[in-house]
Amino acid sequence: MLFNSLSFIVFLAIVLILYYSNIFNWTNRKRMLLVASYLFYAMWNPPLIILLWISTIVDYTAGKKLATVDNQKQRKFWLLLSLFVNLGFLAFFKYGDFLLENFVAIMNGLGIDFQARPMDIILPMGISFYTFQTMSYTIDMYKRKIEPARSFLDFALYVTFFPQLVAGPIVRAKELITQFYEEKKATTEQFLWGLFLLTVGLFQKIVLADTLLAGTSDDVFGTNTVLHSLDAWTGTLAFSGQIFFDFAGYSTCAIGIALMLGIILPDNFRYPYAAIGFSDLWKRWHISLSTWLRDYLYIPLGGNRHGITRMYAALVITMLLGGLWHGAAWTFVIWGALHGLYLVIERLLRNRIHFKINTWNGILLALLTYTCVNITWVFFRAREFAKAKSMLASMFGLNDGEKLLQSFDIIKVFTVITLLFICHWAMRNTSMKAVSKNTSPLTLGIIWAFLFVLICIAQGSSEQFIYFQF
Amino acid sequence: MQLKTSFLIALTISVIGLISWELYWRSQGYEPTLDDNKHLWAVERAKVDKLSSDDVILTGSSRVLFDIQLDEFEKVTGIRPIQLASAGSSPLPIFHDIVEHTNFAGTIIVGVTPPLFFSTTFPQAGPWQRPQKRVDHFHKRTYAHRLNHWLSVPLQQNLVMMSGHEEDADENIDLKGLLKRLKLPERTGKPQYPAFFEFGTIDIDRNMRMTEKTVSDTAFANIIKNAWKFIITSKGPAPDIEGTTKFFVTDAQKFMARGGNLILLRPPSSGMFKGGESQFFPREQLYDQLVKATGAKSYHYEDYDQLRDMICPEWSHLSGEDADTFTRVIAEALIKDNALTKSNL
Repeated sequence: MLFNSLSFIVFLAIVLILYYSNIFNWTNRKRMLLVASYLFYAMWNPPLIILLWISTIVDYTAGKKLATVDNQKQRKFWLLLSLFVNLGFLAFFKYGDFLLENFVAIMNGLGIDFQARPMDIILPMGISFYTFQTMSYTIDMYKRKIEPARSFLDFALYVTFFPQLVAGPIVRAKELITQFYEEKKATTEQFLWGLFLLTVGLFQKIVLADTLLAGTSDDVFGTNTVLHSLDAWTGTLAFSGQIFFDFAGYSTCAIGIALMLGIILPDNFRYPYAAIGFSDLWKRWHISLSTWLRDYLYIPLGGNRHGITRMYAALVITMLLGGLWHGAAWTFVIWGALHGLYLVIERLLRNRIHFKINTWNGILLALLTYTCVNITWVFFRAREFAKAKSMLASMFGLNDGEKLLQSFDIIKVFTVITLLFICHWAMRNTSMKAVSKNTSPLTLGIIWAFLFVLICIAQGSSEQFIYFQF
Repeated sequence: MQLKTSFLIALTISVIGLISWELYWRSQGYEPTLDDNKHLWAVERAKVDKLSSDDVILTGSSRVLFDIQLDEFEKVTGIRPIQLASAGSSPLPIFHDIVEHTNFAGTIIVGVTPPLFFSTTFPQAGPWQRPQKRVDHFHKRTYAHRLNHWLSVPLQQNLVMMSGHEEDADENIDLKGLLKRLKLPERTGKPQYPAFFEFGTIDIDRNMRMTEKTVSDTAFANIIKNAWKFIITSKGPAPDIEGTTKFFVTDAQKFMARGGNLILLRPPSSGMFKGGESQFFPREQLYDQLVKATGAKSYHYEDYDQLRDMICPEWSHLSGEDADTFTRVIAEALIKDNALTKSNL
């Protein structure tokens, strides 16, 4: 079920009515949320709930054993079992075809005539999110960082909680399970702020991503013709805006919906396109994934504890795998590799160049960061290297290509992206909540109405969120 | 923060704003209409699995959609057909889907609009891609898709602002459609598709009927004709007569081998369309050869005195009244020939 759909409006209304009616005690309300979450997932593909169940049962059992068993070998066994099941699901469902394709390519490269039919495996929605979430639980249990879930119901709800089930934020057990222990009800202020966030998120998705940017991005990346420089840049900028509004929109909706239930989810985006440098970017973009990768990959790989070379290697490996997390294609690996390279270059420069960041050089550095990010988006969006190569050649003026876009599309994209950048820069060191607190109720009400009316006028055709495929 | 105040202000402005928006577009002559989208099509396609061998399926391009009126067909034959035709489409992908993915062995009436029927088997070409997307949607649709469609129908039927079209049309009043109306100097140097408006209304079981405006307002009909003229005169790939015929014949033989009853139907056209079709898609060399190759029953409008000189207001589709006549004549001929039963096979 998509947040930007009529069925979700009805679903949410029913859940809220049941949640706030007095017919259930807290345990039964949690049961109701769990059933609702399974229904939310099943509306897409019912049989794939079985994967969720397996993941839940295995990780709950592993967590329980890790809490009670002291024998190190046995503890390792339970951790490995959890990792094997979750990573096994990912390997099979997400990377099965990719691995097969590459195996065939290697065989053929070695002169062995080997052909294999693609397995055409269906990718379970949100598998990368919930497997990472449940793995964080067992890893933290193994490291004795957290207490085990108090009940199977609490754990199952942690894995399946519908607002963040299919596209995050990837929430750690200590941040979410503990909230299920005590009865939760949103205050009126929380409920309305959640509703406001839901409106903002839907506006980002339906109006900004789908209506204003997606068409241009799809046209540019969908054509086989060599493009004029302006068209290539417009398409790339459109995609940079589209993916931000799409994903940040989802996270904002998720946070808002959870808040309407009295549950607090962590921020996932903090105005990333105003980032100064790439370390800053990854503190602002998909925060729940970047902190996951930091805690469960970068630090175990050595982090910055074993010298510079090992640190750079850990950084690049983390980003390569982060790229692969996004999709089973080499273009995503290159996307991750570029980010790893940017991070390495930034750290090298930071050790050599020292200056104070003020408003003006800050804006220039943020623009430079954003430009470099756009180059990585080309690999992220292009399905093939040939397309990425052609796009980059066009962007750097090496192609005398065809004009594909109309003047209005170019103006539209540049206007939205300029406003996006200004907004991110202005909001860089603050938050929507802080700004709203200093805004008069009338102004906030007018803005709220403006967003809502535009959502209704834009309608949209329930386009799927980009990150669902990851 | 005084969120309660802000919320009440937002609610009040939104209600006033949306009511004003709705009333404004109604004052501009807009009426709520259902969209002939992939969801509506999929609902009809789903019915195929429950049909018996006495049932009838219609498929083809927009001419079958406009020209066969379901009520009239039912009145004459006693059978309400399932309408699976798709505008701007080759009938081949949908027919192929029914042959390959169902056990249906009743009657399929395939509309033949020669420029579309003989156009292509290339998966990325518009006439193929458009119906194929509907077929793919049917096979992949989720329960959420079904529920969304079910919930959207009353909204589409009652609110102008919710009556957007899946296809780009110049009357769309969703935000994307409104932005499309803003024209700046042309940049690409390529010919631009002229204005195009929907000229029919569809009901819940996909019975399409031409609007009265198209029949009575010649200026409006000329806008549609202008779009057709652009399509007819645009440079495009040559029709793949051999490929399309071979593809269809293979499916037709498979369908008839399992006891299916195949009927080919050629609806009328007029004006520039008729001229172009006679010149580039001559009946004797294409349609008649197709009938011969498939062994299917055939109903061609030129073979009927009442239908031969019918005029299509925008060259390609019949007015509602003429569509009733066309349907009646064809349905009566089907009954007379006992063509809807397999005893005639």
